[in-house]
Amino acid sequence: MKYSKKWYWLFVSPVLLAFAITVIIPLISGICYSFTEWNGRMDIIPDFSGLKNYMLAIKDPGFRNAFWFTTTYTVASIILVNAIGFSLALLVTRKLKFSNAMRTIFFMPNLIGGLILGFIWQFIFIGVFEAIGDNYNLPFFQGWLSNESTGFWGLVIILIWQMAGYMMIIYIAALQNIPKELIEAAQIDGASAWRRTLHITIPMVMPAVTISVFLTLANSFKLFDQNLALTNGGPGNSTEMLALNIYKTAFTFSKFGEAQAKAVIFFIIVAIITLVQVFFAKRREVEM
Amino acid sequence: MKKLTVFGASILSAALLFGVEAKAEKANINIFQFKVEIADAFNDLANEYMKENPGVQINIETVGGGSDYGAALRAKMASGNEPEIFNVGGPQDVSDWKDKLADLSGVPVMKDAFPGTLSGVTLDGKVYGIPFDQEGYGFMYNKAIFEKAGINAADINSFDKLEAAVKILDSKKSELGLKAVFAVPGKETWVLGLHFSNVGLANEFANVFDAYNAKTVAFKYSDGMKKLFDLQIKYAKKPVNSVDYSTQVEQLFSLEKVAIMQQGNWTLGAIKGVNPDLATRIAFLPMPIVGGKEDCIPVGTPMYWTVNASKNQKTQDASKAFLNWMYSSDKGKDAIVNKFGFIPPFKGYDSESLQPKDPLAKSIMEFVKAGKTISWVFMGYPTGWGMEIIGVDLQNYIDGKITWDKLVAHDKKSWADSRK
Repeated sequence: MKYSKKWYWLFVSPVLLAFAITVIIPLISGICYSFTEWNGRMDIIPDFSGLKNYMLAIKDPGFRNAFWFTTTYTVASIILVNAIGFSLALLVTRKLKFSNAMRTIFFMPNLIGGLILGFIWQFIFIGVFEAIGDNYNLPFFQGWLSNESTGFWGLVIILIWQMAGYMMIIYIAALQNIPKELIEAAQIDGASAWRRTLHITIPMVMPAVTISVFLTLANSFKLFDQNLALTNGGPGNSTEMLALNIYKTAFTFSKFGEAQAKAVIFFIIVAIITLVQVFFAKRREVEM
Repeated sequence: MKKLTVFGASILSAALLFGVEAKAEKANINIFQFKVEIADAFNDLANEYMKENPGVQINIETVGGGSDYGAALRAKMASGNEPEIFNVGGPQDVSDWKDKLADLSGVPVMKDAFPGTLSGVTLDGKVYGIPFDQEGYGFMYNKAIFEKAGINAADINSFDKLEAAVKILDSKKSELGLKAVFAVPGKETWVLGLHFSNVGLANEFANVFDAYNAKTVAFKYSDGMKKLFDLQIKYAKKPVNSVDYSTQVEQLFSLEKVAIMQQGNWTLGAIKGVNPDLATRIAFLPMPIVGGKEDCIPVGTPMYWTVNASKNQKTQDASKAFLNWMYSSDKGKDAIVNKFGFIPPFKGYDSESLQPKDPLAKSIMEFVKAGKTISWVFMGYPTGWGMEIIGVDLQNYIDGKITWDKLVAHDKKSWADSRK
């Protein structure tokens, strides 16, 4: 017994060390910095300022706006990304001619980094859309990203484009795990395709839904690269999300302490929301 | 035992010192600079200098981009591997790094500096930086379009004349092939919040240090600023807020879809890339503020060379000598003008081969020589105020979300708040 304990720690320690250095220690020092007047210089020990940074963060209207924008954005993208990802999964599991090629194509956007993706779509929204709008006189295509609503839907579109394929893969795995005999039995009982989807497929893929919603939720709430590249919060900070607001507080305004406080608040919010979501979704899953 | 340790330690450190001393016969100059565009030419120039001065070893490290450079410099300083020569951008940097900056007022070439180029690095009678170059911006215009429309650009020296010219251009839009008169990049808060706001505020603050020390901003020329901004927005390619830098410079101005844009001489490369012919027939119009100066363009120095004061005197002197050589020797001057493409910040560049070749630099030099310039004060704004406060508010103003009065009130307040 003694012997195996030694081995246990021997194998765990490299990962534990890496995890401590990259996650636990920065988290703790970050929380410490949030109570100080830090200016970003590592060689100076900053003054303690109590809860001042937290008060400033809560009072900052930009932070509150970013919070509401991020929340609405998260709701919209969870629904759309999962609905589209699930539909794609249904589509490519249909034994169509090109279903393998389609799987690859739908998944591919996920391999492109967020920043590049943001710039590509910025070009599409501003350059391509504008050209279409000008040539065919379609007002729908004009002025994308020039106000809050087009900025919002622009961000939603790029997240769908990026994440729907990934969700599709998760749903495909779940769909393929549904026992054939269940569906066959329902078919013999005379259930329509729609009934089968609603009462067999969807309950059976609930574990996948839990994971997918969790991933979309966490990803869209913490969205940064795409936001920075596509709109950079503009016009007029109207599309600034939480992570970008924190980044700007630190690196544009040099208020590192306040930014740290915002980051701690952000961390707590993300932790609460995702834990609550997983807790409730778990209860709806069907055990085989 | 303890004594012995101390003794051992002192022997060791003495040995170390001598060791360093023996090696340091060659003055080692590490340069940490931010202008990516000149990196290769700068390396060549440094090699040239090392050939002439075998006692000097120069190593250049370049990290590009404004904010990246600041962060990289902090990391470099914190790592203990401090460079001998580095760059600062203005008053904020000077006060951040003051304990590291050597006084450069004794460097011979500094007596030839153009007036105003040193104001961003002069503190308590000491000069902490050598200016890189001069850069300018204004209303850049397309000469051919102006000629076609029958407008004499040289006459435009007030807001009323500018407005009249804009109206003529607007009325002839279709025959001139224009989509609009102006291209305003609503997406770029640096163009709105730093460069545009500077035109009004440079009339209010005498120089960048005045702005840096100001507890409040009065917006003395608020009406003039509003007039100039409204004129641009009214006759700009719409929707303004979806135009970004490359749309403004490459697609609209370079393809001659607009006649005027507010930009600076740094856009020349981009314009050349799209339309080399246009790049030979452009120049600047002044940016008139009613009630203030109406015939000037803002000309300033974006970056300075500094010498690290925590190094030993010999190294500091070698660093100063190199910088002095770069701006005053014939080889250096040639590189500055013809290789780096700089507009020199010093006098004494009179010979024919040292005249700026490109039309934008020429145009700026004309304004400089006529004394028709206002300074760049935006480096003295409170941190983040230019781009994130007034820049963002100008976007909201374009969008119709706030009025001008509200913008002025809000921006005054946040200036005062951050200078408490």
